[in-house]
Amino acid sequence: MILIGELSLWVALLMAAWSTTVSYAGGAMRRSDLTASGVRGLYATFAMVVLAAVGLWTALLSRDFSLEYVASHISATMPSVYIFTAFWSGQAGSLLFWALILSMYGTIAIATSRKRNAELVPWATGTISAILLFFIATNCFKANPFTRLDFLPPDGRGMNPQLQNFGMAVHPPNLYLGYVATAIPFAFAIAALFTRRLDAEWLGSVRRWALLSWFFLTIGIVLGMWWAYVELGWSGYWAWDPVENSSFLPWLTTTAFLHSIMIQEKRGMLRKWNVVLVVMSFLLSIFGTFITRSGVIESVHSFAQSPVGNWFATFFFLSTGITVYLVGTRLKDLEAKAELESMVSREAAFLYNNLLLIGIAFAVFWGTIFPIISEWANGTKITVGPPFFNAVNVPLGLLLLGLTGVGPLIAWRKASVSNLKRQFATPAIVGLIVAVVLFALGMHSLAPLMTYGLCGFVAATIGQEFTKGVRARRAIHHESVITGFFHLVARNRRRYGGYIVHAGIVMLFAAFAGMAFRTQHDVTLATGQSFEARDPYGHQWKFVSQGVSTSSPRDRLVEAVGLETFRDGKRLGFITSEKRQYLDTQGNPLFGKITEVGIRSTAKLDTYVVLAGVRNTDVAELTISFNPLVVWVWIGGFLMMIGGLVVMWPQAEKRRPQAGYAAVMPTQAERAELAGAV
Amino acid sequence: MTSRREFLRRAGSGAAAILLAAQADAQQRRGVTHDSTIVKDTANLFAMDQDAARPVRLPPKPGASPSMTVTERDELERHIHCQCGCTLDVFTCRTTDFSCQVSPSMHRDVVALVNGGYTAQEIIDAFVGVYGERARMAPKKSGFTLLAWVTPGVMVVVAGTLLSMWLKRREQPQVRRSVAHASGPRAVPGVDATPEELARLEAAVKGEDDA
Repeated sequence: MILIGELSLWVALLMAAWSTTVSYAGGAMRRSDLTASGVRGLYATFAMVVLAAVGLWTALLSRDFSLEYVASHISATMPSVYIFTAFWSGQAGSLLFWALILSMYGTIAIATSRKRNAELVPWATGTISAILLFFIATNCFKANPFTRLDFLPPDGRGMNPQLQNFGMAVHPPNLYLGYVATAIPFAFAIAALFTRRLDAEWLGSVRRWALLSWFFLTIGIVLGMWWAYVELGWSGYWAWDPVENSSFLPWLTTTAFLHSIMIQEKRGMLRKWNVVLVVMSFLLSIFGTFITRSGVIESVHSFAQSPVGNWFATFFFLSTGITVYLVGTRLKDLEAKAELESMVSREAAFLYNNLLLIGIAFAVFWGTIFPIISEWANGTKITVGPPFFNAVNVPLGLLLLGLTGVGPLIAWRKASVSNLKRQFATPAIVGLIVAVVLFALGMHSLAPLMTYGLCGFVAATIGQEFTKGVRARRAIHHESVITGFFHLVARNRRRYGGYIVHAGIVMLFAAFAGMAFRTQHDVTLATGQSFEARDPYGHQWKFVSQGVSTSSPRDRLVEAVGLETFRDGKRLGFITSEKRQYLDTQGNPLFGKITEVGIRSTAKLDTYVVLAGVRNTDVAELTISFNPLVVWVWIGGFLMMIGGLVVMWPQAEKRRPQAGYAAVMPTQAERAELAGAV
Repeated sequence: MTSRREFLRRAGSGAAAILLAAQADAQQRRGVTHDSTIVKDTANLFAMDQDAARPVRLPPKPGASPSMTVTERDELERHIHCQCGCTLDVFTCRTTDFSCQVSPSMHRDVVALVNGGYTAQEIIDAFVGVYGERARMAPKKSGFTLLAWVTPGVMVVVAGTLLSMWLKRREQPQVRRSVAHASGPRAVPGVDATPEELARLEAAVKGEDDA
């Protein structure tokens, strides 16, 4: 099977080349036979890549250490689940994983669009196949997972124990699923540019894919944050590392696209801008992959210096050049079909939302590449770290949070003064009350105060929308609150799914601001000794060391410390933290020592204990942190995922055809009742 | 001309031959063993340079006492870049990766300088003197690196201004949109809601998709 996999990879290369060539030829010559052959070539590429993937998984699960990739990423003692996930833990495997997802996505996208977008299909197929060709060629020539060693090692090197974690098992595939999904809208955008069919039709084919990309990127990013928090022991979850930034960039542009696409759907505006956003999202995904693999920028995640960097750079610049040319030569076809009626309208609010999202994306991109610019311009190596990113992005983020509340409530076309008053009076008062109460309680820092005030404002706008909708349903359909709520969401998934996502964003911002009040203590405790500290809420904590214990399970040596924990004199139980040294089958140390963090999590506060080291067998060196509101990052992320699912979920019921608009309109009496509910 | 069947037959034979040859080669290689495990590092985390630490020492100021509290010192360490090859600051690195020997060494230097009476700025300058500009966690706000700080803000302000001007220019207030209002809901006497609001609410109640 391994050999079949290896061979399949080469056949996939030929198939992708074929599909690219004949699809573009079919599009240019308007020959349906060539187009059909190109599409079949794409399907065949998918089949071949699946076989190659099965081959690599077989090699991993059978622990065939004659393959360099297997020997470098797994060991005989590793749990099977991480042997399975080792598929994407290294350079070559992750590139094959990219190709696997892309060929699958491409097959689905083309199969489902062949009839609806017949004119776009040859160009979209050609573009998907061209991208596939690049990835498979990189796999074949620069990072082949089937490369064999000249010798047969008794055991493999294994995977870094910090990566043997549930979060790290599922974080990369989610990110890849998100990154790769940007290729489908890109392919359709290129097809629309080639064919000059730049009406709203092509958008219909790409919106779901953009949503899918956003959905998986969101899950991937949040899981990455969770992994960093529970595994790395630095009591934070986002360090503005270049690779973290690289996943954030396409998320920002995709988010901008998902907002601006509504304006094109509703008003026929922003046609150029939407093409640019789709293209940008894909190019930033490639940029992220390039950053991770080229070693041009220091990152804790880098795959070190690798030969694929130049390939990615070439592909990135080539794709950018072609796209810029296509967009530049089709500007006239991208003229808006409608004009803006008022600066005080939802269209304008969404445009400013886009400005801020892209502004943040630019700031992150700029900070990420500035070390290269500095070294290139004046030979000085510099670091651009969290102080820069926080200073630049916090104001933009707060403005964006404010617009999150404004955008959905303001009227399309032109908002009247009465509309503004009615929609925003209550939320503005709620936001103000939140800020005043927190100020009275002693919170005097400006940024957190503004954040919580805005969180209150946005939360109130969301609550107001749900309340109005449920009241209206109750008034007309006489439903209970719960039934009304579910029907409301089910009948208008895009809007209310979006509100759920916004609720998740509010939680994230509240949690981010909470970290401004984090406190941290370096402590040394012998058995029986205690440490006392006050948390940011003013509660008195006491930690009593139960001593250091050692154990040696199958593949590791463990030193653990247990702290009996009290808050305001009330016993809360134990928090345990460990240091682990993983061993290979011969008992030799594998990698450095790693830390298992002890976390006691509540809605208000995480108590975070890290065993830094052990002296004289029973003296524990510890770092104890009080991290407010961290759990809301995970809840907010989960809510965003739910909102994304609601938006993406296909409508379960088809709407019955109506005899014109009047048929769906409530009667005069119903409308009066409905307005009463408002 | 080769028929399709003939082509497939030949291709199949060729593939089988390649498979058999490669299988034989693999078996031959498996017979060869080696006494070492893999040394090639394709691991996913960065390679640490444990020898990167260099002394950052200055003589204590006359009659020196600690220039800051422990909390302030920790905050200062968040602005000094650990040189082990990670992207973290000294404080985060030394409290995160306990196999790093560089950040504890840099921490000791910070402690000595704090005890020697040096201010935060003097300490950062001392580290920059030894390690170069990479010792800072963020570029300094002067000279060429000022560009890093101002560019995002300038871009957003300029883009925002241009966007506002563009919107203003394209703004075409229209007195009563005939199409929208002709097909939209009529105003309800005594109800304080615009037709647009009523339409949106009704669409939600009826289950029409509208984001």
